[in-house]
Amino acid sequence: MEKSKIHPDQIYIEGIAANDSAVIRSIYKNFVPKVVFYIMNNSGDKDQAQDVVQEIMILLFNQAKANTLLLTCPFDAYFFLLCKRKWLNELKKTSNKGVTINEDFASINVSALELVEEAEQFDEKQQLFDVMFQKLGDKCQELLKLSFTIKSMEEVAEKLNVTYGYVRKKKSLCIGQLTQWIQEAKNFKSLKNN
Amino acid sequence: MNEERYLLFDQYLQGEMTVEERNNFEKEVSGNPEFAAEFRTFKEVQVQLQNKFGHVQEREAFKENLSVISDEHFNKNKPKLVLMRPWYYAAAASVVILFGLFFFNQNTKPDFADYNQQEYAYLTERGNVQEELKQAEEAFNSKKYKAAIPLFESILKENKTPEIQYYYGIALLEEDQFSKSEAVFNELKSGTSVYSEKALWYLALSKLKQKDYKASKQILQTISQDYEDYDKVQKLLNALD
Repeated sequence: MEKSKIHPDQIYIEGIAANDSAVIRSIYKNFVPKVVFYIMNNSGDKDQAQDVVQEIMILLFNQAKANTLLLTCPFDAYFFLLCKRKWLNELKKTSNKGVTINEDFASINVSALELVEEAEQFDEKQQLFDVMFQKLGDKCQELLKLSFTIKSMEEVAEKLNVTYGYVRKKKSLCIGQLTQWIQEAKNFKSLKNN
Repeated sequence: MNEERYLLFDQYLQGEMTVEERNNFEKEVSGNPEFAAEFRTFKEVQVQLQNKFGHVQEREAFKENLSVISDEHFNKNKPKLVLMRPWYYAAAASVVILFGLFFFNQNTKPDFADYNQQEYAYLTERGNVQEELKQAEEAFNSKKYKAAIPLFESILKENKTPEIQYYYGIALLEEDQFSKSEAVFNELKSGTSVYSEKALWYLALSKLKQKDYKASKQILQTISQDYEDYDKVQKLLNALD
């Protein structure tokens, strides 16, 4: 993506990443009421709206921290569409009746839609990853957690009271295990889609 | 599980292979799609782990802050249920009267310094740190505004963002360069950034510092009640009356 196309509203993303209260408050003041209004008009209540917004804010934080979010459209459009689609998915999950999503195509910002799809993929990947991570044995989980918080493998070895060679090997194999599971899930998905 | 393969991936990524091993590895990546796909996933998993554990504390802090702000936002219209006994009212009323007397006796005009509280500039938190930006941030945060001004000016020449303009404007105001400062804030005011309302606030402070109380008040009255620090605006307005 070219840098020149980044929307000035990128400051909101930066603000979220920096946990800047002023920016977070201004998002709640300026953009959240519209989301609440939408959810309450589509079989939801205020508490549900609050949850949806909070989950989307955390998703934005994660995306921003992973440096994968470059806004190419106004924040408002992106944020509203993310929340709206999140809510409609929730509805689909809980109701037996099919929910028809009446997209008002005229009002959809094309780059917002693209960005939202990216965000949803990001979220999906992260969820898959979290599930797989939980499947790992305790030792692997512990070792990976330490390796990615401490960074120096010598220190990790010292902490776990094992040799450097052992932690290096074990780390690769634990990542390998995750790789294998995630690869299988990916292969399965592409089989299903073809 | 193909243990050999994962150990190989790691060796390659750590740069621990001989030239020959490296060439063989790269040949395998380009010639064997299954090997390449798994190598890609291996690298993705590392990035995911990095995201998951690299920012644990920051993420927790963010979630906490978020839920406070969220509750504030969603409950602010609910009436607060406070049970008060009659004598509480009497006590509360006398406190109010005391405060009233206190403030009544302080019948002086508000002072710039009372309302001028600067937030810290965090300009270099993320991404590649530019030396100049870092110097500007340090100068600003240690209140060396005179030193910060030329730094901001040179940064703005390269990269004009509302954030830098905002801190530049504050530094100018601190140094009593009113017309320059007001020009910056006037520009921010008409923009769409989150700094547009803050710019109004600083314009009002600028007038206050020049003891032009009437102009300060007029500007304050144009600030929307949705402004995040509206309580300060209200306070200053009351003091100006």
